Formats: sequence, C-alpha cells, structure tokens
Amino acid sequence: MLKIKSSGIQSYWLMLVATVITVSIVSSSQLLTQRISLLLDRQASELLAADLVVVSGEPISSEYQQQAEKIGLDVANIISFRTAIFIDDSPQLVAIKAVDDAYPLRGHLEISKDYVGDKLKVGQGPKVGEIWVDPKLSQLMLGPVTLGSAQFKSDWILTFEPDRGGGSVFNLSPRILMNIDDLTSTGLIVPGSRAKYRLLFSGEPEKINEFIEWIKPNLKAAESLQDLENARPEMRQALDRTRQFFALSIVLTLVIAMVAIAITARHTANQEAPKVAMLRAFGISQTRLMRFYAEQLVKVWVIATVFGLVIGWFSQYPLQWLLDTWFGKELPAISTVMPYTNAAIVGFISLIGFSLPFLFNATATPPMQVFRPSHSNRSIRRNIVIIVTAIFSVFLVLIVLVQSSKLAIATLVMILAVALVLPAIFYLMINSLLFTGRRQFWLRQYLLSRLKTKTRGALAVMSGFCLALLAILLIGVVKDELLNSWQKQLPDEIPNYFLINLRTDQVPAIEHFLQQRDIASSESYPLIRARLTHINEESVQDIEFMDPRGANLLKRTFNISYSDQLPDDNEVISGQWVANDSATPEWSIESGVAKNLGLKLGDILAFDIAGESIKAPITSIRTVLWENFKPNFYLMSNRQLLENQPQTWLLGALIKEEKKAELKQLIINFPSVTLLDITELMSRIRGIVSRATSALEFFFLFAMASAFIVLMAAIQTGRREREQESSLLRALSANIGQLYKVHIFEFTLMGILIGFFAALFASIAGWVISAQFFDIEYHFSSSIWLYGILSSTLVLTTVGTLVSRKVYHVSPMKTLRS
Amino acid sequence: MLDIVQDVSLKVKYQEALVIKGASGSGKTTLLGLMAGLDQISSGDIELLGNSLGDKNEEQRSAIRSGKVGFVFQSFQLVQGATALQNVMLPLELRGDSDAYDRARHSLQQVGLELKKNTLIDHLSGGEQQRVSIARAFAVQPKILFADEPTGNLDAKTGRQIADLMFRLRDQSGTTLVLVTHETELAERGDRQILIDSGCLIPLDPTQNTRLGQS
Repeated sequence: MLKIKSSGIQSYWLMLVATVITVSIVSSSQLLTQRISLLLDRQASELLAADLVVVSGEPISSEYQQQAEKIGLDVANIISFRTAIFIDDSPQLVAIKAVDDAYPLRGHLEISKDYVGDKLKVGQGPKVGEIWVDPKLSQLMLGPVTLGSAQFKSDWILTFEPDRGGGSVFNLSPRILMNIDDLTSTGLIVPGSRAKYRLLFSGEPEKINEFIEWIKPNLKAAESLQDLENARPEMRQALDRTRQFFALSIVLTLVIAMVAIAITARHTANQEAPKVAMLRAFGISQTRLMRFYAEQLVKVWVIATVFGLVIGWFSQYPLQWLLDTWFGKELPAISTVMPYTNAAIVGFISLIGFSLPFLFNATATPPMQVFRPSHSNRSIRRNIVIIVTAIFSVFLVLIVLVQSSKLAIATLVMILAVALVLPAIFYLMINSLLFTGRRQFWLRQYLLSRLKTKTRGALAVMSGFCLALLAILLIGVVKDELLNSWQKQLPDEIPNYFLINLRTDQVPAIEHFLQQRDIASSESYPLIRARLTHINEESVQDIEFMDPRGANLLKRTFNISYSDQLPDDNEVISGQWVANDSATPEWSIESGVAKNLGLKLGDILAFDIAGESIKAPITSIRTVLWENFKPNFYLMSNRQLLENQPQTWLLGALIKEEKKAELKQLIINFPSVTLLDITELMSRIRGIVSRATSALEFFFLFAMASAFIVLMAAIQTGRREREQESSLLRALSANIGQLYKVHIFEFTLMGILIGFFAALFASIAGWVISAQFFDIEYHFSSSIWLYGILSSTLVLTTVGTLVSRKVYHVSPMKTLRS
Repeated sequence: MLDIVQDVSLKVKYQEALVIKGASGSGKTTLLGLMAGLDQISSGDIELLGNSLGDKNEEQRSAIRSGKVGFVFQSFQLVQGATALQNVMLPLELRGDSDAYDRARHSLQQVGLELKKNTLIDHLSGGEQQRVSIARAFAVQPKILFADEPTGNLDAKTGRQIADLMFRLRDQSGTTLVLVTHETELAERGDRQILIDSGCLIPLDPTQNTRLGQS
C-alpha cells in the first residue's frame, strides 16, 4: 500500500511562524491586559476603598464576612451616621464614620496637621481613643472632643478619604473618622439608630466574582451591592472606555496575525498542489489526502502552541518592565490559566479555519496537473467554502476574545467588508489601468499584468496587507484622535473643589468672595434630596426591574436640581430641555438612569421631597459627561417645580495652589459650608486615561510586529514567482537596473493602492467606532491619509526591494530548469 | 561542484543548426545554458559571438546577449496575465526598441497568431504558447537562437508543427540554432548532431545517427 510521507514541518514553516505569533500575541496580550486591567480596576477601586461593598441601613449579617474570609477575601467594616456636636456652644451636624483597622482595603487616607500643610498618606484609620476631623472642624483640635459619652484626642485633620461620599460627592456633612472599637463607648449607636453599615471586600477578581455569585441571592431587602459600576459614574465611564480600547486593539492586532496565517496557508497550499496532483495520479484518494493534511495541521498547531505560549509567557517580563516604568507601579500578578487556554484555542481556530480550506482545496487538484500545471483548480463553490470558513473562524475568535458582542459583530462586519470588497476594487482598478496604453508593455502594463495574474496571488496579498495596515491605522491614528477627544474633556482648568451645603442666601456672598479673590467658579446649583416613589402612578416597590442597577437606584436618595440652562457638557438626546419660565412641571433625566429604570419620554415620576410628593412627566433625556467634574445631575427640573423645596446649593471652584490660603478665610466667613477637595479624584481619572494611552502604545507595538510578519509573509510568498520572473527577464537580456525598476515600481504601486484604501476604510471604521462605541465626536483627519499612503509606500518599497534584491542574483539558468 | 563536461572543445558555425542530444541528466541543458551565457563556467572559456564569457559577470553576459541571442524554452516561460503580443514586445522593449509594437505584431504574424495577439497567454493552448515563445525569440532578430527541448511539452503533431515553424523561421532569418532535444525526429533536422555522454561530446552522423568519434 502506498503511504503518504510527510515532507516534514519545513513545508509549513511560514504557517508555523504565523501561528506561533498568533498564539504569542493572544497569550501575552491577554496576560498583560488582564494585569493592566486589574491594576486599573484596583486604582479605580481605591475610590471605593474596596472592590465590592455591601451597604445596608441595618447591621450586616456576620455570615457575609465569614463567607468572604472563607473564599479568601479581605474584609473591612464601616458604620457611618450623623450626629450633632457642639462647637463653641453651637450645634454642628457631623458625619461620623467608624472604621476598623482593615479600612481602607484599597487606596489610602491623607491626613495633615494643618489644612494647607503637608499631607501624610496612611493606610489605616485612627487608633482607639483618637479621631481625625474634617478641615472645617479644625477648631476641635484645640482640646479633647466629646462624642456621646466618650472623649477623644484629635490631632489630625482628615484631608482625603478614598470613598468620600460613597457614590455622591455632594451630600456631605463635615466628617469625623474614628475607630470602630470606640463606637460602643460613645453610646451613639443603639438599636434603632439611623446608621449606614458598610461591609467592604477586596481580593482577586475571580474570588470577588465568586463572592458576588454567592451573596446576590442572599441579599436582604435593605441591602445593596456597590461596585465601581454603580458607585462612581465618572469612573465607570473611564473604565468602560479603557476596556473597549483594549478589546478593540487586541482584536485589530489579532486580525493582522490572522491575515498572516491566511497568506501563508495559501502559499503552502499552492506549493503542495503539484505534490497532490502526483499523489492523486498514483491513486491516493482525496479523503486520505485530507486526513493527511488535517494531521499535519494538528502537528503544526501543537508545535506552534508550545512555542507561542513559551514566547507569550516570557514576553511578559520585558513588557512588564516597560509597563512598570510607564505605570510607575508594579503590575499585579494573576493566577488564571485563561490567557493560555484562550491563546491555544485562538491559535487552533485561526490555523484550522484559515489553512484547512486552502489545503482541502489543494487536495482537489486534478491529477491532470501532473502533465499540465495550471492554477485554475478552484471552483466558485470552493472559494465560497474558503471565505465562509474564514469568516466563521474570525467570528469564533472574536467570541473567545471580545466580551462585547456588539464590538465583535462590528469588527467582523468591518473585516468582511474589507476582505470582500478590496480584492474586487483592486481587480477593477488594475483592469481599468490595463485598458489604457496597450501599445507599450514595458513597464506599466508589465507590472499591472503581474499584479493581476492569479498565480502570484497579488490581489489576495494586497488585500491582506491592506487589512493589516487598516488595523494599524485604526490602532495608531484613530486611537490618537479618540484619546485626544477624550482628554479634551478633562481640561486642566476645571474646578478642583466643590463648595457644598451652601444656604440659598449665602450663594451671592460666596460667589462675591470667590470673585474678589480671583477664584474661578462654576455656576451654582441647588440640591434637593429626593426619593423616587412612583413611576407612572405605580409604586416603585411593586415594579420588578430587569436591570439590577435599576433596583439599586431605587435604594438611594437622588440629589436633584433645577436650572434654566442646560448644564455644560450635557446633551439632550431625546425631547426638549425644560422650557424657561415654564409653569408646567417637567423632568429631564440622564440617559443611563433612564435606561436602567426603563424610562422613556412622557413617563411620570413622583418623588418624595421632605414628605411632599412632587410629580412631573419626563420631557427630555440627556447624556452627561461625568468625567468633566462639573456639577452633574441624574435628574433636573424646571425652576418652578422645585424652587420652593428645601434645598442647599453647591458650586465648583478652581482653587490653585497659591490661593489655597484663602480657604481658611472662607471657612471662617461661612462656617456651615463644606469644602470638598476633588483633586485626588481628578488625578485618578486622568491617571487612568494616561495609563490607558500608554497601554495602547504597547499594543501598537504588537500590531506593528504582526504587520511586519504579514509584510514578510507577503513578500516571501511571492518570492518563488519573483525569482522565476527575474530569471526570465535576465534570459531576455534585462539589466540589473531594469530588474530593480520592476520591483521598486511594483512595490510603490502596491504601496500607494494599499495605503489609499487602508486610509479610506480606516476613516470610515474610525468614524463608526467613535460614534458607536466611544460616544466621541470623530474628526476626519488628513494625517490618516498621509500616514497610510506614505508608510505603506515607503515600507513596502524599501523592505520589498531589499528582500527581493536576492532574486537579482538568481541565475537565468533557473528559467531553463524550471 | 559537478563537472558537466571536461576537456571538450566545440565550435558552432555561423547559420549552422547544431543539435545536442543526450540522456536525461547528461548535462545537455547545462551545456546549452553555459553556451548562451546564462550561467558562469568554473573553468575554461566560452566565446559567444566573438565575446569571451569566461571572466564576465551576469550583468556583462546579459549585455552580450542583448538583442543578439534568442531563447525557446521547454516550458515556454511566458508572462502570465499578459497578452501574446505583449509577451513578444517584452524583449524588444527591454533593449529599447521604439517600434516594438509593430515588430512584435509582425513576428506573431510569422507564427500565425496575428488573430490571437490580444489573447491572454493563460487562454492559449500549449502549442500556441510555444508559437508565442518562438515569435518572441525571433522578434529580436537574434544572431543565435538557443532552444531547449522546444517540443518537449507538446504532443507529437503539435511538436512537429512547432519544429517546422522554428526551422522555417531560422532558414528565413539565417539565425544560428543550438537545439537541445532527445527526440530523434527533431534532432535529425539539424545540420550537425553531438551527443553528450559522461562529460564528453561525441559527434554523430546526422544521417546514420551513429557516433563519428570524439571531437
């Protein structure tokens, strides 16, 4: 019986290299994104002082703590409540927060001896017998402080607590931080006291997820779960965008790697065709050949996976070093095998999906080719099989790697459009160029006919390279556009302090105070505390919300406001902004809350405000830019609806370093006003944006490396044909200058066409992605065209000509021997 | 390094049709390539049209061949994706002929492919492709034509037609022909035959197809 003998892995080495690169890209990028993401989450978690918080109006069951500790999470306890203390015989409402020694689980506290003095970062709250006080209460530092029936030493001012406000930064009384072990001795908390209990958790993401799964069904009615998603809208948007940037970059990088596999698979299949024709002539069945190639591919996959995973694992270290420098902090380790399994799966799908159809196609090579080689053995049906399998493979890979199905589908559509449309465009362009100037063959017509010929697969290679360049342009140039727009939303000159708890009559005086001292301030807004009671006359207690965020929202008190003008960076996306001087009650609602609560225009919302029920229809839905650090509100109304309700005011002020001394005078002049320093919060968000940018630069390097492989694969796959052509031209007496000319013009022509279409498709894709996924206005940029056409022409011409120059030395004898 | 021929001397006369015969792997094609200046010889010398090739590099050998040497290959070696006419125009344009178009058309006319001048090479039969190859070779009006198994990829009937065509054009132009073949019928059409065997060149009697003795 005739046996098919493998010609060894060397026949598949290009495919092997491309698969090794794919596996390395997936494993290292997954490892690093998970670690970067974990670092960003942790830094963001610092604003919650934990990764997860259970909030309740009643003491929280110790069972939660036990279960969390059993899983391996760190736990901290907080009890907060309001009470009045006497300062110089005047009562002052204060917010007391009692914390245990584990608090904060994430982030740090800042204390100082003097409000404008040096700040000290600490990782633990006050010791037993000690309290730290709000800057506004600094006069307490003069002597012992009595809280209930206990006395405390007060030596430090609390200048920063990571979770201040716990979701709302505006609704604060001056803070006193104390040790939870002192609480009993104060006697301030007795059964029935109004207090907020918080149980904080931190740990590995998998453990947190495990705990969430456990606790969700066990939560009681009065308890709610807070994580960054629902606690800090400004941070949530920043993190969401960062994650989407990451996902997009990985997908695009992977697209390039898959293009490399596809190009090399096609090349391998073409090389195998003569061998297959011979084997089939000897009577080997197509089924046996298919089985043989399937086995070969599995061998390639196994070898590539081993090498790819090893490279992926090792590449962490230099990259980690680089990232540590960028991030200024060591990346946290992760203990999951998912990046490795994902990499192996993606490697398998990519290799099999892109190679098998080509090789199966090769097995159908008619034995007749033994006698007369021809390259037209592909039927339309087989081409369709190749395309469909490739599409399916890309989709599977996207499903494995991208959590957002919307992004996966959008990327797939983009890839499909480019992969299907480009070869047709290139074909039509080359044909129309071929149509003119037929009386002269050399050099233009010669080049075009070479590009058009099937055997060289130039159209496929050009389309592949164009797709790779498109991905690079999207990651590189469009990323810059997107990040610039994003960063523009966080200008330097925005308020860094919120002045809250202003009485209505104090507002003009405070505005005047700030104006006199040349301190810029935002518009002032009233704050009214309200609780949602009814939606369309139905009690919210009776409504079952599909979205758990909706249910959570009902447990909180809303800070609602009114204004004649639409606040800065708000955009009405549906309906009309509340009319000036309108006597008709109207609500304007933020789009996220509307979505979570399933609200639409015309729905009637009723709020309980200080015991009075206020109801009105929703007349507009707004988007709010939470990261702009200006006063932002979920709910706003027209002036007439809320003007007479009990309210305090707030305004934002930009207090620069040299003006900070004025703060003391402000506190003295307006003792009831609370100052909230949001500098730290702002720098956190800015940090996330800039770190996300750095991480993306890193993916850009990956994308460049993959694109280089595509380039090399593209050049390599055409090398045999180039050798043959050079050898023929040499036999026909062409000189070396003419050979150089052929390659320089060929690569230049390819470069211009590829660059042009890559820039065109990148502009369209950039616009779609900006609008659909990042909610950012996209400006069509000329730089994308400049970079696209210049880089593709220069790189292709230079690298292509340099790599191809070896063929100039191929003896023309090759022509005789071929 | 493999010695293809050793201690041999061979002269091809002006307008002569020399046929080189030999078994597979005997070095016929290598000898043809060396004579045409397609490859570098390791020792000795070859003179092509009065130019010594022994010390010349590929660039210099190419200049010697330019416009004076034509080739017909077994596997045609045509530019895929180009038309018959464009293939014939190629060597003319490479040497800078301004009337390449007209000369190529004329050459195609001579091989009977005038009507298929704008047909893509991929759409021509094997015999037609070899005709284009011959038209391309004669278009430059070479002083010497090297043909390597020109009928090797064709059926007997087409092979005969191609041989007729090649010898007819050669008779018309007076081009010197060096032909490598293992086909007796084609070999017999040459003025002189030599056999390459174990590195030696053995003259054959063209009429008797027998060895004449070492040259």
